[in-house]
Amino acid sequence: MKKRKWLSVLVVFTIFFLSACAQSSGGDGEKVVNIGYSGPLSGAAAYYGENTLNGLKMAVEDINKEGFEVNGEKYKLNVVALDDKYLPNETASNGKRLVQENQTPIIFSPHSGGISALQVFNEVDNFIVSAYSSEPDIVERGNTLTVRIPPSYEGYIEPFSDYAMDNFGKKLAAIPPVTQYGKDWAEAIIPYWESAGGEVVHKASVDYSKDTDFFTLLTNALKEEPDVLFIGGPSEPTAKIVSQARQLGYDGGFIVMDQAKLDEMKNVTGSYDVLEGAIGVVPLIYTEYSGTKAFIDKYREKHDKDPGSEAGYHYLAMYVFVEAMKAAGSVDDAKLIRAHIGDGLTNLPDDKKVYDLKQIEENGAIENFIRMGVIKDGEFEEVDLE
Amino acid sequence: MELLLQQLFNGLTIGSVYALVALGLTLVYGILHIPNFAHGALYMVGGYITLIMMTEAGLHYILAMVVSICVVGLLSVLMERLVFYPLRHSPPIQDKVAAIGILLFLEALAQFIWGADYRQMSTPFGQVVEVFGLTLTLQRILIVFAAIAVMILLYWFLKKTFTGSTIIAMAQNREGAQLVGINTHKVAILTFFIAGALAAIGASLTSPINLVFPGMGHLVILKAFVIIIIGGMGSIPGAILGGYILGFTESLGATYLSADYKDIIAFVLLILILSIKPQGIFSKGGV
Repeated sequence: MKKRKWLSVLVVFTIFFLSACAQSSGGDGEKVVNIGYSGPLSGAAAYYGENTLNGLKMAVEDINKEGFEVNGEKYKLNVVALDDKYLPNETASNGKRLVQENQTPIIFSPHSGGISALQVFNEVDNFIVSAYSSEPDIVERGNTLTVRIPPSYEGYIEPFSDYAMDNFGKKLAAIPPVTQYGKDWAEAIIPYWESAGGEVVHKASVDYSKDTDFFTLLTNALKEEPDVLFIGGPSEPTAKIVSQARQLGYDGGFIVMDQAKLDEMKNVTGSYDVLEGAIGVVPLIYTEYSGTKAFIDKYREKHDKDPGSEAGYHYLAMYVFVEAMKAAGSVDDAKLIRAHIGDGLTNLPDDKKVYDLKQIEENGAIENFIRMGVIKDGEFEEVDLE
Repeated sequence: MELLLQQLFNGLTIGSVYALVALGLTLVYGILHIPNFAHGALYMVGGYITLIMMTEAGLHYILAMVVSICVVGLLSVLMERLVFYPLRHSPPIQDKVAAIGILLFLEALAQFIWGADYRQMSTPFGQVVEVFGLTLTLQRILIVFAAIAVMILLYWFLKKTFTGSTIIAMAQNREGAQLVGINTHKVAILTFFIAGALAAIGASLTSPINLVFPGMGHLVILKAFVIIIIGGMGSIPGAILGGYILGFTESLGATYLSADYKDIIAFVLLILILSIKPQGIFSKGGV
């Protein structure tokens, strides 16, 4: 009996050993670089997580067609994606797992809580946090191995507020989501709105994981007769807020936080007419850089729906990292790769430029162009901010 | 005044949904003494079946709801047969763990089959109507009246029909019910079917004013538990009353006390009621 037990332990070990070997070297002599991902793949934010991962996976598939060369050796990429259900503590344990089991030099995380959790130990464990969040905080902590991909929301505060105030009026009702990101956004926009001569007539918050119906919330916000509603969160429930506000007779404008995208909101409201007067970021499908169209077409073909900016940015970021690895001459030294992100941005092939990025700042933020869109006369329109 | 009326109506709408979900939960609790955590998942499946019937099979909203009621009812029965029935002699903790397991399984299954995205359910009753300065939509009026109709029907069924009385008999005393010749297996199956049907009705009515997604069950299930504790575990009038109490507390509390603390108001209410009546407003057995 005892002998059999030992035998089974031996078999299990052999299997582990073999699978570990299989992982570290590719089938035909090519080496494999594991890329970590920890985001919400189940639970309330699963849809968002899937979109980010889709962009990343598409980039990896494209890159693996040819592979890439660093210091004369050929490499391919392999995405190791773990689910963290949007919980920072899960992101932290995923991060540890990714580094220890898969030696990932880069870990993508698409939410600010998870990013903060990874920043606790990424410098010690030597991996780059590829941060997809517009929270300005994440690059202000002095973390030397963080790369923030999208623009900070701080840039939107001024143009969004000014446009809303000029076109709709001075009374703002703020109903951001209860998340940290929502609160921070609100804390940034409210002082600006007041300093610009506006008045905040109502402040509340919405919890998309608890509120089944938004009528109660909106009845209270609208009794103050605001001219502009400040809303946000995932596109679909945000769109529900808009349509319910319209049902209650509201006819003012909306300032939409950057997480929600106007084109995705349209899928829920049915048409842009309901969204008339909404101010938000420019959706990817209305973006025209040298690589945008090719990406959108490919994404549509593969997933049978329009890509959002989260997919676009993840696709782009993976290419930037590959270029950075080439320039750094290393696929595993996180510090060296981080130091060459600038070269990665410069060397990025034109046909991969889903977005046009500027340079990376010392603190890890990639400089970007601030763009704003509005719904006017039932059509999307980009507003020139120059 | 107008604000008060509007918020009363909003509370009535949301309270109706809560009450429907809580009713299913309390029925199962009354019979089997299982806190059925998987009830929220049944609610979610109900939303999806109605949506799929409408979009894929092209059925009318009401017909799709009928299909959904049958499917979720049967799913609920299946759950009883495959999971809770074999566990009937094991300690209660195993039922609870099993219920959580079913919840996770169904959520993951829904995400696998239908994807994680938020879906929109259209309704033929989307029109906005103004009554005495109140803004209502036909869908909301439908929620309120359909919920009341379902409750009356359920009450009539339990009180006035022979089959219905067997459910009450079993809730009051399981051995006693067996002694007078009631087939407890059949009653359990029937109860699970009704619970599933109520979840499907609740979800189908609410989905047009919210969205359909794998995690939608969480929106209501925690509140449904609060409701059946307020109303008394296993009590049917308790679930109805509790549902409306919670609905009104949320809407009026958010209006006249504090919008940020509306959940706290509901829980303070829970503590108050429990300190006065530890068994809930209607203690068990008083179905």
